[in-house]
Amino acid sequence: MNGAPVRVVAGPAVAGTAVGAVAGLVDEAEVETPMDLAAVEASARAIIRNVETVIDGKHAAVRTALTVLLAQGHLLIEDVPGVGKTMLAKALAKSVHCTVSRIQFTPDLLPSDVTGVSVFNQADRRFEFKPGAIFANIVIGDEINRASPKTQSALLECMEERQVTVDGSTYLLPLPFTVVATQNPIEMEGTYALPEAQRDRFMARISMGYPDKESELAMLDSRDTSSPLAGISAVVSGAQLRGMMTAARAVFASGAVKEYAVNLVRATREDRDLRLGASPRATLQLIRAAKAQAALHGREYVLPDDIDSLAVSVLGHRMVASSRVLGHHHQDAAPLIEEIVTRIVDATPVPVGAQGCP
Amino acid sequence: MSRPEAATRRRRPFRAEWPVTGALLLLLLVANGALGALLQSTTWWWLMAFVSATVLLGLAGLRRAGLAESLAPVAGFGILLATLTLLFGGGTGLLWLVPSLETLARFGRLVDSGMESIQQQGTPADPVPGILLLLCAGAGVIAMMMHLLAITLRVPALAGLPALVPVAVPGLIVDGGADPLSLVLTAIAFLILLRVEVRVRRTREAENPPAGPHAPRVVGPVRRRGPGPLWGAMVVGSIGIVGALLLSVATPAVPGGGFAGTGHVGTLLFGSGVTPLINLGQDLRRPQSSAALHYRTSASPPPYLKLLTLDNFVGATWMARVEPSRPNENVEDIALPQGLSSQVATRETTTQIVIDGVAARWLPTPFAPKKVTGLVGDWYWDRSTSTIASANSITRGQQYTVTALELAPTPEQLRAAGTRYPVGIRRNLDLPVNRPAIIDQTARDVTSGAISPYDAAVALQTYLRGGEFSYDTDAPVAEGYDGGGVDVVGKFLEVKRGYCVHFASAMAVMARSVGIPARIAIGYLPGSRSTSYIEGRDRFNVDAHDLHAWPELYFGGIGWLAFEPTPGRGTVPAYTRATDAQVPLGGEVGGLSTAAPRNADPGAQNPSDGRRAATSPSGGSDATRNLTAGLAAVLIVLMLPGGARALRRQGRRRRVRAGPGSAGWAWDELVDTAVDHGVRVRDTETPRELVARLELLPGLVSPTAGDHVAVLRRLLVAAERQRFGRPGAATPGEAPAGLAADLDQVTRAIHAGASWPVRIRAIVLPASLRRPSRVARNGTLPADA
Repeated sequence: MNGAPVRVVAGPAVAGTAVGAVAGLVDEAEVETPMDLAAVEASARAIIRNVETVIDGKHAAVRTALTVLLAQGHLLIEDVPGVGKTMLAKALAKSVHCTVSRIQFTPDLLPSDVTGVSVFNQADRRFEFKPGAIFANIVIGDEINRASPKTQSALLECMEERQVTVDGSTYLLPLPFTVVATQNPIEMEGTYALPEAQRDRFMARISMGYPDKESELAMLDSRDTSSPLAGISAVVSGAQLRGMMTAARAVFASGAVKEYAVNLVRATREDRDLRLGASPRATLQLIRAAKAQAALHGREYVLPDDIDSLAVSVLGHRMVASSRVLGHHHQDAAPLIEEIVTRIVDATPVPVGAQGCP
Repeated sequence: MSRPEAATRRRRPFRAEWPVTGALLLLLLVANGALGALLQSTTWWWLMAFVSATVLLGLAGLRRAGLAESLAPVAGFGILLATLTLLFGGGTGLLWLVPSLETLARFGRLVDSGMESIQQQGTPADPVPGILLLLCAGAGVIAMMMHLLAITLRVPALAGLPALVPVAVPGLIVDGGADPLSLVLTAIAFLILLRVEVRVRRTREAENPPAGPHAPRVVGPVRRRGPGPLWGAMVVGSIGIVGALLLSVATPAVPGGGFAGTGHVGTLLFGSGVTPLINLGQDLRRPQSSAALHYRTSASPPPYLKLLTLDNFVGATWMARVEPSRPNENVEDIALPQGLSSQVATRETTTQIVIDGVAARWLPTPFAPKKVTGLVGDWYWDRSTSTIASANSITRGQQYTVTALELAPTPEQLRAAGTRYPVGIRRNLDLPVNRPAIIDQTARDVTSGAISPYDAAVALQTYLRGGEFSYDTDAPVAEGYDGGGVDVVGKFLEVKRGYCVHFASAMAVMARSVGIPARIAIGYLPGSRSTSYIEGRDRFNVDAHDLHAWPELYFGGIGWLAFEPTPGRGTVPAYTRATDAQVPLGGEVGGLSTAAPRNADPGAQNPSDGRRAATSPSGGSDATRNLTAGLAAVLIVLMLPGGARALRRQGRRRRVRAGPGSAGWAWDELVDTAVDHGVRVRDTETPRELVARLELLPGLVSPTAGDHVAVLRRLLVAAERQRFGRPGAATPGEAPAGLAADLDQVTRAIHAGASWPVRIRAIVLPASLRRPSRVARNGTLPADA
């Protein structure tokens, strides 16, 4: 897959084949032999160890990021500048042998810069598609809230449909395809905050937080010299990563766990402290993320603990706190939402589950 | 002298004693009111009024019925005892009135708890039953003495002396003493008593002149109407009282020169860089205390006023976290405090504060502020600490109104608070690594057996307020361990003497060490109600000696709650007293002590039918046979719960060995065993979280029992696989026999590690019987069978 991530479809006349090709590609990924779960755990550990050589003391963030990658979701990293958002995204991408592109979002960035553009080739006398930055396995979107809404929506469309349509032709995005977007919650001037509907596209939101004192000291020693990323090499091939993804999909989620996830999400819709609860898409992604996390632990079934530990990152960014708890400040509601989600998780009963007897 | 004549002579004066008795009662009731400076609510007054009235009227009635004068004290004592038995005996007395041995024992306990509570509580105190008993007994004794002096000995002027006792007590305890209003009223009541007595005696003498030379007499002409010498006495008395009042209002202004312009006395130096804890101690030790601020409030009891929060360890010392200023967080509209959810009941109070002498960057406000109006300068609000501070302004001279939320969480909500904390809260669990070992050790010892963070917190508070520790502002300096760092806390826990800083720091550090997020709040105690009518009776004055530090602990879904571990200062918040059930008069003896029960287990709160049956049949005539039958019945009833539990256990073990679903049955048995041994199992908890708690049980952590934990985890994984795994998937290494052995090992270890009362309860009265069985619970999940 690497090296030639773009599949070009001739034109609208053969759109039917294009759809066939889409199905074919997905199938191809599906039939990728699922990796043994013990091997998944070992590979995951290797990736995490690799990433942690450049990011100190952020185990939970790294683990969640890998979970999202395995669950084929997209990740939103929201934090103040300089805490290693981009470093995390890059290190993760470099640990896997696949293509990476980075888009620095600015107010004048155009949708075609992201998706690609058709250029007239004088020699062939026909239009030729020049793929944009989106055509990569891992796309790092830096400061996504600085781009105009138009560009944002172009990116988000690609994220959702995993394909690009330019001038009537549809081009499939490579697999795996994950967008890791970063966003700065503090500096609001000249930015376009993602509306709730678009945040919903991201599987999870994490924030890095400041490192503790020891990690920061250690960082001073290790980061003093050249770029730390230079020392990182891939520990997992693209095919292996796809195998891990397939294995993650095959993880079993019991009825009890699904019911638990649904109860949790429904509780967010009924909570008086929240104006907007989580969507059904959130339920879906919560289960998918939980499966990936179970695979990361080498477990072939999902536990309620997986749901618990992912609830804040997967559900948090989709919610809006009610004005009653928010007062009139609408910024930096993340800690508030985290409290509310934690409380809901604490208050939702865990289903008993199957009992192999009458 | 013929007999009928003698009868008239004996009767008539007695009938005339009713007005004197009424005047005595009035005097006593008014004097009792002076205790209002020390106590909360008004129940105590009504009870004291009831006892006083019963004793005085009862004695007067007996006297009217012809009781010999010499017997009056005995009769009075009898009446008092009967009244107290009725009020506080809890039905243990014969016919509710005659005290039995049990009643006396109960009184002994009540008196002990009352004395202890008096030592522990600050003013105004919460009148717990023990204190009420002491008050009522005191009122009764005073009533008897008044009767003796005024009626038996006929010296009503001296009857005012016993009435002075309740009036004088507040003066010994609080600075301002009894409030002037009750002093004036008492004086007026005393004058009324004198007047009534004189009238009565005049009437009596007019109708029936005294016979003997020693009989008391009133000299002067008998006049029915118009002002007499007594009116003159009243006028003179009134002038004296008013003069004394004016003087008392004027004098406090003299020392300290506490009016405008001398703001340097007692000024706070709370900069962000100075260690506020040391400053606080210095302020407390300063002999002269100057006015800090005054306020009027709608809150009852008056609120603590918080200045700043210390939540950050820098090295071994507490420091305030310096947050960047956020101009958007306007103090006129503040979001809900951290962690508070809509389920918790809140009450809005308003407090108008005027700063006299405080000069600080932090604003004293009641917790949790919701809205502050009237400030000068730029003030910003910090959500995580709920404090209000300014970058460019100080507090001096500010006048502002704070709307605050009073939290009133129920004990159920507090017990249900989870142990999962958001990231922003988790930093309040950090502790310096090289802290004295005594901290962790003490914290573990004190909280062992606490079933929830809330119970652990209450246990810590009770431990620090208990008799072992004493309040002392000088000892720490003399012995060189002032301040609030962890090493100081270590020393403090050994010496057990210190002031609020040490108590607050010790509680916060110990709470953190047992996993409850905690921090220290610094601010002012509610101060004292103004005694001056010129300032107004609704005004509270706070001076530098009211500076205080107290811990705040975090509970999920509720947020930060203040605790009061310092003995003799401040008031214990209502939600931390919830565990000592408010005993209604005449109720069970169960929760008398102000101390929270450390081992509050759900099972113990429901006494078994058996126990009740054992105490009630005692009045039977056919004693022995009934007793045998009763005992047998009691034994059978006592054995019923344990037997049912044993049957259930056998059934489950059979199922574990037979399969299918062994792991599920083994898990059920494990959970029930844990519940029997006092572990509180919540249905919002995943198996993994439960196991993480079970691993801390004494039977499983003991170093000799290394592999118990491994076995426990094996049971957990098997149960998880069965409950949440793919049905019918291969289950390697789960031989039912092995599971049964694992189960036996773990349950035996849990049982062996429990204390003997817990073990006996687990056998006789297993708490798990009240949990629905698995099959019933599983019925709600038909999809998964």
